[in-house]
Amino acid sequence: MQTQLLPLEPLKTTYHLQFLTDRQLDVLQNATLEILENTGVKFPSQKALTIFAEHGAEVDWKSQIVRMKSDFVLKALSSNPRYFLLGARNPAYDLQLMDGVTYFTTDGCGVETIDFETRQRRPSRKDDVGKMARISDYLPSISFIWPMVSAQDHGETAPLHEIDAAWNNSIKHVQSETVMGEAPCRYAVEMAEVIAGSREVMRRRPPFSLVVCTIAPLVQDTAGIEGALVLAEAGLPVGFLAMPTLGTTAPATLAGALAMGDAEIISAAVLMQLHAPGAPVFHSLMQAWADPRTGGYVSYSLDSRTRYAPVEMAHHWGMASLGACYGTDAHEPGTWQSAGEVALDPYLASLAGSDIVTGMGLSETYTLLYPEQIIMDDDLYQRARYQLMQLEVNDETLALDTVHAVGPGGHYLGQRHTREHFRESMVRGITHQIGEDGKYREPRQVAIDKVKWILENHHPDPLEPEKQSELQRILAAADKEIRRG
Amino acid sequence: MISETPCLQPIKPAYHVKILEESQLDQLQSATLEILEQVGIHCPSEKALKIFAEHGGKVDFTQQIVKLPGAVVLEAMSHAPRFYTMGARDPAFDLILDGQALYCATDGCGVETIDFITRQRRPSKKEDVGTMARVTDYLSAIGFYWPIVSAQDYPKTAPLHELDASFNHTIKHVQSETVMGEWTARYAIEMADVISGNEQVRRQRPPLSLLVCSIAPLAQDRDGLESALLFAQAGLPVGFMSMANTGSTAPATIAGTLVLADAEIISALVLIQMAHPGAPVFHSLMPGVMHPRTGDYLSSTLESSSFYPLGTEIAHRWGVPTLAGVFGTDAQVPGWQSAAEAESSLMLCALTGAETGSGLGLVESCMLLYPEAVLLDADVYHRVRNEAAGLDTSAEAIALDVIKEVGPRGHFLAQRHTRINMRKRLLSELTGQPKEGGGYRDPVEVAREKVEWIIANHHPKPLEQAQQDEISRILKSADKEKQQ
Repeated sequence: MQTQLLPLEPLKTTYHLQFLTDRQLDVLQNATLEILENTGVKFPSQKALTIFAEHGAEVDWKSQIVRMKSDFVLKALSSNPRYFLLGARNPAYDLQLMDGVTYFTTDGCGVETIDFETRQRRPSRKDDVGKMARISDYLPSISFIWPMVSAQDHGETAPLHEIDAAWNNSIKHVQSETVMGEAPCRYAVEMAEVIAGSREVMRRRPPFSLVVCTIAPLVQDTAGIEGALVLAEAGLPVGFLAMPTLGTTAPATLAGALAMGDAEIISAAVLMQLHAPGAPVFHSLMQAWADPRTGGYVSYSLDSRTRYAPVEMAHHWGMASLGACYGTDAHEPGTWQSAGEVALDPYLASLAGSDIVTGMGLSETYTLLYPEQIIMDDDLYQRARYQLMQLEVNDETLALDTVHAVGPGGHYLGQRHTREHFRESMVRGITHQIGEDGKYREPRQVAIDKVKWILENHHPDPLEPEKQSELQRILAAADKEIRRG
Repeated sequence: MISETPCLQPIKPAYHVKILEESQLDQLQSATLEILEQVGIHCPSEKALKIFAEHGGKVDFTQQIVKLPGAVVLEAMSHAPRFYTMGARDPAFDLILDGQALYCATDGCGVETIDFITRQRRPSKKEDVGTMARVTDYLSAIGFYWPIVSAQDYPKTAPLHELDASFNHTIKHVQSETVMGEWTARYAIEMADVISGNEQVRRQRPPLSLLVCSIAPLAQDRDGLESALLFAQAGLPVGFMSMANTGSTAPATIAGTLVLADAEIISALVLIQMAHPGAPVFHSLMPGVMHPRTGDYLSSTLESSSFYPLGTEIAHRWGVPTLAGVFGTDAQVPGWQSAAEAESSLMLCALTGAETGSGLGLVESCMLLYPEAVLLDADVYHRVRNEAAGLDTSAEAIALDVIKEVGPRGHFLAQRHTRINMRKRLLSELTGQPKEGGGYRDPVEVAREKVEWIIANHHPKPLEQAQQDEISRILKSADKEKQQ
C-alpha cells in the first residue's frame, strides 16, 4: 500500500548572515589561487593529467603534480553553473537550487547498524540502506537521499547496491558518496538513465549525483577523480569534499585549513570544467580536528566557528555548496552531546545560504546508525525551520480586539480567537508528546516508536517493474565484471 | 585559600542579524501603544497610580486601571538610558552594556535541588545558593549571578538570605528576581550599599539589580512595582519581565502574545521613568506557550524559542537593553533535550544584539537544580560564543608558507606553526576527555566531576570582614522584624 506524499519542507529564510567579510573572502580566494599556482595539487591519474596538459596547465608527469595560474582557474570555473536542478523519480520532489532555500539529506556512509529488531550492534548491510531510504522518504525534512550505511553484504559492488536500495525505497533524488572509479561510475550512470527514462531527461533532471572526497593535503584520489569525470561527461552533478584535519593533514589554524581544502576542491572542479564545460559541480569543505592528546578525529571542537564559512567560499567562486551538519562525535543518540554539538547546525547552515546539506542520522562521527537518530535530528531541524520563518504580523495575529475584550486580568480560554488559533499556537516536537501517565514521554522512546511506525506504514510508490528488472540486470553485470576483476 | 576568579568571556558577535522588518516593528509598537491607551493596565498600588496620575496617565482609582496616551509613553521612555554598566565587587567583572557583548546569568529561582552529595531530590536551601554562586564564580560563561534556587530554609526572608549567600560567594554582579515589596527592598538596598561602600559607587557601578514579573494579562504586581520604585530611586537597575502564556493568559498567536507582553513591560518601565527619569531599566520578554492538553507553561516548543530574540529587537526598538531568555529547558534531566532546546535560541539572541540573558543551570522549566547542568549549559554557551566570534584570516592564520612547505601529501605534525597553534584550538573540556582504553568519557559524568572539583577547589575572594559583619547585621534585623 502506498502512503500519502508529504511535501518537502526545505529550510527557507528571509534574512541572511554574512559570516565572512568580502575582504576575508578575497583573502581566502587569493590564498587558494596562490596554492594552486605555486604548490600545486597531485592528480595520480594519467587521464586527469592529460586533460590538464591539453588545456595548458603546468603538469609535472613524474610527481603527478599540476600547477595552474589564476587566469586558467577562473576561466575554467566560469562555465560552472551556480544553480542547477537535482531531479527525483517524482518531479514534485525535484530540487531546484536557488537563493534562500536549503535542502537537507541524511548522513553517510556508516559501517555499523544498531539492528532494527535485536538492537545489537552489527556490520551494516543493503537492507539497512533500503529501510533508512524509506524512513527518509517519509520525512519532509529530508529532501534527497544519501545511502546512510554501506551495503557490506555486497563486497566490491556495495556502492551500486546502495543506490539500488535507495531508488527502490524512495522517490527522492539520490546522491552517493561511495561510487568510485570509472567502471562503477559507468554502471551508476546506466542506472540513473533507467530511472530518468532517457539520456535527455537524465541531463535535464539528473536523478543521481555524487560526492567525491579529496585527500589532504593537496591530493586527489585516482578512482574518485576518474569516476567523477564519467559523471560530469553524462551531465550528472558531482561535488568535491575536502576534509582537512587541523594539525595533521592541514595547518593548525582554521583559515589555513580552509584555504588548503579549498585548493583541493577547486583543482578538481577545474578539471571537470576542462573536460565537460558546463557540468554541474558543487563544493564542500568539512574541517575536523586531531585531538592533540589522542590523535583521534574530532568532528566538533568547542570552537567550530568555520563550519559554514565554506558555504560562502563556494558562493564566492560561483559554485553551489554542500554544507555539513550533524555528524556528532557522540556514541549514542538522545545524549546531551548528540544535541549539544549539532543543535545549531541546521539554523546556521540555512542562514549562511547552503544550497544542499548533509547529514542527519549517524553517531560516532558518521560511522554508526541508530535508526531513531534521524527522528531526533529531524526534531532539531524543525526547530531551526520555525526559527527561520517570518513572523506573521497582521490584524488577525495581533488580536487587538481580543486583547480589548479580555482586558487586564482574566484569561483567553473562552475567546473565539483562541479557539481558532490554539491548535497552531503550539508546534509539538518529540519532546512534548504526552504518555498514558499524563507526563511527557522520553523523546528518544518517541523517536524509536516513530521509526517503527514509518517502517510499518510508509510504502513509497515502487519503481515500475521493468525499471526494477533493468536495475537488477545492471547490478548483475556489475557484480560479474567488478567482483571478478 | 583564595583562588582567582577566571575572566568573563561574554559573547561578542562579529556579525548580526535582524529578524523583524522595520514595518513589523512599527506594527508591533503601534499595537502596544494602542493597548496602553485603550485597554490599560491593572495596577494595584496606590503609590504607582498616583505617579501615573501626576504624569499624564488616565487613572481609574476604583478599578486601579491606568491608561496611557501614546505621547505620555514615548515621553517617559525617552529618559530611559540605552547603555549603562552593572557593577561587580571587582571592577574587572563589571558588565558593560554597550551593545557589543552578551552577558549571561544563571537561571533562577528553582525550588528543588538534586543534592550535591546524596543525589536525592529535595527542597532547595540557602546553602545551595552559596555553593552554586561559588561554582558559577569559577565559570567564564557566567557574567552575573541569579540566586539559582530559593533559600527555603528561611521562608520569611528567603530573598535576603539568597542575596547574602550570593554576595558572600561570588565577586560577580548579582541580580535578584525574588526581592518583592518595599520592606524587603529596603534591606536589599542596604546590603548593596555595604558592597559598594558608598552611594556614588552604588549609582555608578550598581552591584545589585532586580527583575520583576508582571502578571498576564495586563496587570502588575503591587509588591513588585513598589520594590522596583525603591531600587530605581537608589540607582539600582530594574527590569520587568512578562511571562504571558500563549493561549491562556495571552492570545493564541505569537504576534498577539508579543504585544500583550510588551504592553505589560512598557507600562512598568514608563512608571519607573516617570518617578525617576534616567533610572537604568531593562526589558525582558519571556512568554511561553500553553500545552493544549496539560495547560503547562512551555518555554521551548518547536516555535516558541523565537520569542526571545524577537523580544530583543522589540526592547531595542524602545531604546532599552534586554534580558533575553536563554536556556531554561522544559527537559526533566540535563541531556539531549536541554541541549537541543538551548542552542539556536542563544545564538539568535546574541546575533540580534541582546545585552544580558538568563539562565543557565536549571531543568523542568526553571524549577529544578542539577548541579552539573550549569557546566553542560556553559559548554553549549562556549560553542555559541566561538561560532559568533568570526574568523581570523591573518597571514599567520592562513599559513601559506606552511602549506607550501608541506606540499601535496605529507603531514603538518612536525611544523612549528602546528605546535604553536594546535594548543589554541579549543576542544570541549566535557566531550574531549579521553577514556582509559580509548574513546571519550561521558560528558555528563565529566560535568558532575568538574562541579565537585570546583566546589572543593574554588574559593573566590571573600567579602571583607567588616562587610560580612554588616550584611549579617542587616539580615539579623530583617529576621527579627519578621520573627524568623
